[in-house]
Amino acid sequence: MNLNIRADKNNTFDAIVVGSGMTGGFAAKELTEKGLKVLMIERGREIKHPQDYDTAMKEPWDFQHRGRVTAHSAEELWANKRFGNLANEETGGLFTNDKNNPYVEKRPFDWIRAYHTGGKSMHWGRQSYRFNKQDFEANAKEGIGIDWPIRYEDLEPWYTHVEKFVGVSGQKEGLDVLPDGHFLPAMPLFTPELHFKKVMFEKFNRPVTVGRVANLSQPQEWHTKLGRASCQYRNKCARGCPYGAYYSSLSGSIPAANLTKRLSILHDTIVSEIIYDGQKQRATGVRVINQNTMQTEEYFAKIIFLNAGAMNSAALLLNSKSSRFANGLGNDSDQVGRNIMDHHLGVGATATVEGFLDDYVYGQRPNALYIPRFRNWGNDKQSYLRGFGYQGGASREGWNRGVNADGFGADFKQDLTKPGQWTIGFGGFGEVLSNPENRMYLDNSKKDKWGVPMIVFDAAFGENEITMRKDIMNSAMEMMDAAGFKNITGYNRPEVHLGLGIHEMGTARMGRDPKTSVLNAFNQVHDCKNVFVTDGAAMTSSSCVNPSITYMALTARAADYAVKALKKREL
Amino acid sequence: MERREVIKNIALMLGGTFSAPTLMAMNHWEQSTRPVSGVSAFSLTENQQKIVAEIAEAIIPRTGTAGEASPGAKDVGVPAFIEMMLKDCYAQPEHLSFMEGLTSIEQAKFLEMNASERLGVLKYLEQETKAEMKARQVKQTKMGDNDDHEDIKKVSKGLPFWRLIKELTLLGYFTSEGGIKASFEYVQIPGKLENIKLKPGQKSYAY
Repeated sequence: MNLNIRADKNNTFDAIVVGSGMTGGFAAKELTEKGLKVLMIERGREIKHPQDYDTAMKEPWDFQHRGRVTAHSAEELWANKRFGNLANEETGGLFTNDKNNPYVEKRPFDWIRAYHTGGKSMHWGRQSYRFNKQDFEANAKEGIGIDWPIRYEDLEPWYTHVEKFVGVSGQKEGLDVLPDGHFLPAMPLFTPELHFKKVMFEKFNRPVTVGRVANLSQPQEWHTKLGRASCQYRNKCARGCPYGAYYSSLSGSIPAANLTKRLSILHDTIVSEIIYDGQKQRATGVRVINQNTMQTEEYFAKIIFLNAGAMNSAALLLNSKSSRFANGLGNDSDQVGRNIMDHHLGVGATATVEGFLDDYVYGQRPNALYIPRFRNWGNDKQSYLRGFGYQGGASREGWNRGVNADGFGADFKQDLTKPGQWTIGFGGFGEVLSNPENRMYLDNSKKDKWGVPMIVFDAAFGENEITMRKDIMNSAMEMMDAAGFKNITGYNRPEVHLGLGIHEMGTARMGRDPKTSVLNAFNQVHDCKNVFVTDGAAMTSSSCVNPSITYMALTARAADYAVKALKKREL
Repeated sequence: MERREVIKNIALMLGGTFSAPTLMAMNHWEQSTRPVSGVSAFSLTENQQKIVAEIAEAIIPRTGTAGEASPGAKDVGVPAFIEMMLKDCYAQPEHLSFMEGLTSIEQAKFLEMNASERLGVLKYLEQETKAEMKARQVKQTKMGDNDDHEDIKKVSKGLPFWRLIKELTLLGYFTSEGGIKASFEYVQIPGKLENIKLKPGQKSYAY
C-alpha cells in the first residue's frame, strides 16, 4: 500500500534531519536552538539514555562468552567481525546486523554500521583533533583531488563551539600540526610514556601528547545541565556510558535539542528518497519506509540536512532521481559516491619496557597517547604524500600474559595475580588520498528487503597508502628502539581494507566548482540549495586525524548559515 | 607405566600422522571456500569431560589453606566453560585440533596416570605446542583507538589442543566471579585515574 499523504500540518516541519548520529544530533541541536521545528529521522531502533545501555553495569562474569564473539554473531555481523571483537555480548547490541543489511563488494570494503539512535556516536573512539591549516591547503598545493572551498579560519570558531559543548579532555601543546582547542583537564600519561615522550623530544624533536578525548574530565555547567557527569575511568565506553561522561548524540546533542521542545524524532524509519520539485527547483521533503511495517509516508520541510553517514547520505542522493536529476540529486558532476576516503590503520609496533616495576595505575584510561604527524611536515620529505599520527600507550600485562607464557600450576596461578611487565604499543592512522576511482554506487538489480537498491563498493588503497604503511611500521619500531624498549615487533595487517578505520568519508565532496564537486562552501548541494550534507560525505580531503569533531564543526557552521539564509528568505 | 614410557607413547601419538577421518575432514574444510557455518556439532564424552576437567585443574589448581582457600578451575566451572566456548565460539578447524589432542591423551589413559606422569605429559604437550605456536607468529597488535588484538598467522590446521585448553582455562577462571575476587583487587567503579606506586605483594586491579 502506498500512502501518499499530502503536505498536511502534521507532516510538515521547518527542517528534516536524516540520521541521529554524530552530525545528525548536532544538526538537530543547532537548528532547534536557533528556533526551527525539526524532524529527525532515524532508520534504526530507539535507544534511550541511559536505561537502554543493557550491558553498561554488568560484571565480567555476567557475559557468557566473556567478551568473545560467538560463531553465530560472527556470521550475522560479518563485516563488523573484520574489525575485531565488537560483535560480542558487551557491545554487539550497538552494531548493525550485516546479514539483514547486505551490501556488495566489487572490491572488499569494511563497512561498519550502527542503525539506532545515536548511530556511531555511541561507540566512537572519541579522539577529537582539529584539522590543521595545511590539511585544508594540501590538495591545491599538491594537485590531488580538488581544493577545499574553505580554510582553517572558516572552521576555527566552530571547532571551539563544538569542543565546548562536547567536552574534550586534552593538553595544549602550541603545535601548528595539531592546533589546540578548548580543553578540559588532560588525562595523565603513564610513567613509561613520560619516559618515551622525553626521549622522542630529545632524539627526534617529535612531540608526544595525551589523547584529546571527548570524555568529561571535569564537567562544566552546560554539561551537568544535560545530565552529564564526570568520567569514572572504567573504560567501558563502548557499552554506552550511564554517566553520560563521553559525548554521544544520546548524552549531548539530542537532550539539548529536546530542551527546546522543537525536536520530533521518528525511529525505524528509512528515508528512501528526497522529493524534488522541478518547478520550484528545490527539495520539498522526503519519502520514507517504516522498517518494520513497510508503510511508506512523506514528510516535508523548508530545508533538509543529510546526516545518514557518508555512504548512506550518498546512496540517498543517488536514489533520489527526477527529470532534473536523472543520475541522482546533486549529481551533475558524477562525483556523488566517488572519492571514498578513510584512515588506514592496523599498522604499528609493540614492545616490552624494562623497569618501572614499582609504577602502576589506578583506574582505566579511556584514552591513549598521541604522536602527531611528523612526516612531510617542516623539513621532513618522504617519497609519499601526507602523513600519519600514532595512537597507543603503555600498560602492565595482566593475567592473559599466561596464555603465551610457559608454565601451569600453583606458582603460575599465583604469579598471574600480580601485574606483569610494562608493554607499549601504538598504531598509525594514515591519511588516504582522494581518488575518483574509489567509489560506491547503487545496483538497481539488487534490492534490500525494503526495496532500496544495494550499495556496491569498488575501492581500494593506492600506492601512496601502501608506501606510507611501511613507514608507519618502521618508524614505530625505530622510535621504540630509541626509547630503549625491547622485543620490538612491527605489524602491518594485510587484510585491512578501506572502511575499517570507520572514518569513511568523501562521497559528496565540497568544492567551488559544481562541475567537480557536489557541495558548496556551506555544504549545500550545488543546484539544490535547500539540501545540506554535513556528515563525512562532505570531506574534500581526509587529513590523518580522527574526523568526527570536524564533521560536527562543519554541521554547526552549515546550520548557522541555513538559519540565517532562511531568515533572509534566501532559502 | 613408567613416566618416560608414557611420554614416549604420547609423543608418538601427538607427533604422528592424523587419523584417516581427521584428514578427510580437514581436506573437506580446506576445499570449502566459505567459512564453516554457525554452531557445529561439538561435544565431549563423559570421559573426555573428566580429562578436560583434570587438565584445567592442573593449569589452575585450588590453592591455599582451608581458612584462605583460593578456588581452582573446577570450583568456578571452567571445565563446562571450555566445552561451551569451543562449541559456540570456534569453528571446525579448532574442533578438530582440540579433539585430535584430546583423543591422543585419552588413548594414553591420562586418567589412570599418577600425578607425576600427568605432569610429564602436560609439560611435554606445552613444549610441543610452543614450537607449533612459534611457526604461527603470534603478535600483539592494536586496532583503532582502543582495541587490542592478538594476531595469529592463519593456517588451515586449528590451534593446538594445549594452547586452546590453556587459553580457555585462564579466560574462564580469571573472568569468573570466584576467580576474579580470589585473584585480584576488584574495582567496579574506579572514579579516578592516577599513576601510583606498587606496594610489595600488591595484586593487580581488575575492573
